[in-house]
Amino acid sequence: MLFFENKGTFNQHMTKMPLSNRSSTKYVNMAACVSENDSDKKLEFFLKVPFPSEREAAIALQSLSPDPEPRKGGITKNLDVTGHTLSVRWTADEARILRVSVSSFLDHLSLVMETLDAFGPPVSQ
Amino acid sequence: MPVVIGFEGSANKIGVGIIRDGEVLSNPRRTYITPPGQGFLPGETAKHHRGVILTVLQEALDEAGLKAADIDCVAYTKGPGMGAPLVTVAIVARTVAQLWGKPLLGVNHCIGHIEMGRLITNAQNPTVLYVSGGNTQVIAYSERRYRIFGETIDIAVGNCLDRLARVIKISNDPSPGYNIEQMAKKGNKYIELPYTVKGMDVSFSGILSYIEDAAHKLLSTGQCTPEDLCFSLQETLFAMLVEITERAMAHCGSQEVLIVGGVGCKCFYAHLGISVLSASKHAFFFSGNLRLQEMMGVMCKERGARLFATDERFCIDNGVMIAQAGWEMFRSGHVTELSDSWITQRYRTDEVEVTWRD
Repeated sequence: MLFFENKGTFNQHMTKMPLSNRSSTKYVNMAACVSENDSDKKLEFFLKVPFPSEREAAIALQSLSPDPEPRKGGITKNLDVTGHTLSVRWTADEARILRVSVSSFLDHLSLVMETLDAFGPPVSQ
Repeated sequence: MPVVIGFEGSANKIGVGIIRDGEVLSNPRRTYITPPGQGFLPGETAKHHRGVILTVLQEALDEAGLKAADIDCVAYTKGPGMGAPLVTVAIVARTVAQLWGKPLLGVNHCIGHIEMGRLITNAQNPTVLYVSGGNTQVIAYSERRYRIFGETIDIAVGNCLDRLARVIKISNDPSPGYNIEQMAKKGNKYIELPYTVKGMDVSFSGILSYIEDAAHKLLSTGQCTPEDLCFSLQETLFAMLVEITERAMAHCGSQEVLIVGGVGCKCFYAHLGISVLSASKHAFFFSGNLRLQEMMGVMCKERGARLFATDERFCIDNGVMIAQAGWEMFRSGHVTELSDSWITQRYRTDEVEVTWRD
């Protein structure tokens, strides 16, 4: 389950993310892409994260979207769900700001996945 | 009989508690303790909380003997507090609320302290002194709001104490305030410090600058001991708190004082288990202040008023206080939509409409 996104000149980066320090270590295949848009010199980063079910992807979206970015300017982040996949799109002015935001997001994503793991599956609605 | 689970992690304590109709079913907690001379930073605190929160959650369920299905509502700290740790805890609360299909409730941290204090002590309508590392407020209930009658205009009293502890490099285990109190008991030279009550409010940052400076000068010349500094600071800070509490009591015609927050603990419990740097499970430990209780007690006695306080299980940040405030809010019809469940570092106590009281 790997997805690609192209936009202008880009660096592709496939990443396996360690999911948990606890009992078993799971890896999630995600696709990530950084691109630089020459016209306005903004950096863009895309992440697509597959989940075992549509419901869990929706739960992850609702858990990760309410809080605003701590940094008020220089970065935007958009989350969306399509089917089983959570997609995240960043635009940033500087690489440093982008790195911090993506890094925090991955920590939070990891926490959501561990919680889904430990306290799931979701109850039937 | 709603059962509410509460998640708290706005500072360096991470706690999950479960309450049912005023009965505390479980209240496990972990504290992130930094080495002497260091305070706790948001990123590292959040990392600590991320590492233990699911374990503490499971403990809360196990100790209460409950399953997810038994929970009726998931409460969490919406604010105020440190951003990164607040987000960490909110994320888990949102996730389990969705997994279990239960309503979510964002709670004001200060109101959590107040509601827990009311529940445990049964104080009817007290003037509340809320004193912790992050907050210093004098609060009284009036017409559907917890109104702030007096507060710090800069830093919290606990923050002032914690930063003195950093300067003299005493241990942060179990908490800097506890260790300052132990040292204060052995101090006997009173060093005059600025006394900065501003009407109904207080200011501590000037005292802090003064004592940080004095500490370096006086300690290096041997004019006083660290114990003397601890003693002098406590006497000054607590006298100021007693003064503004008394002023609010006179204003409201109140005959009850309730002290809540980590700086204001009451009882002495045996200290079990120490761990520096990383999460440590404290079953019971003493933290907070007998001296403040003593001074407030003198003032109350003079006025014929009653003094109430809780022990360290409930006055130090914990999960069940959030559950209790959540329980009150839930019963009176509050619910937080997921899209509105964002955390906030600033959240005034009087922003919440207290619909559960007349």
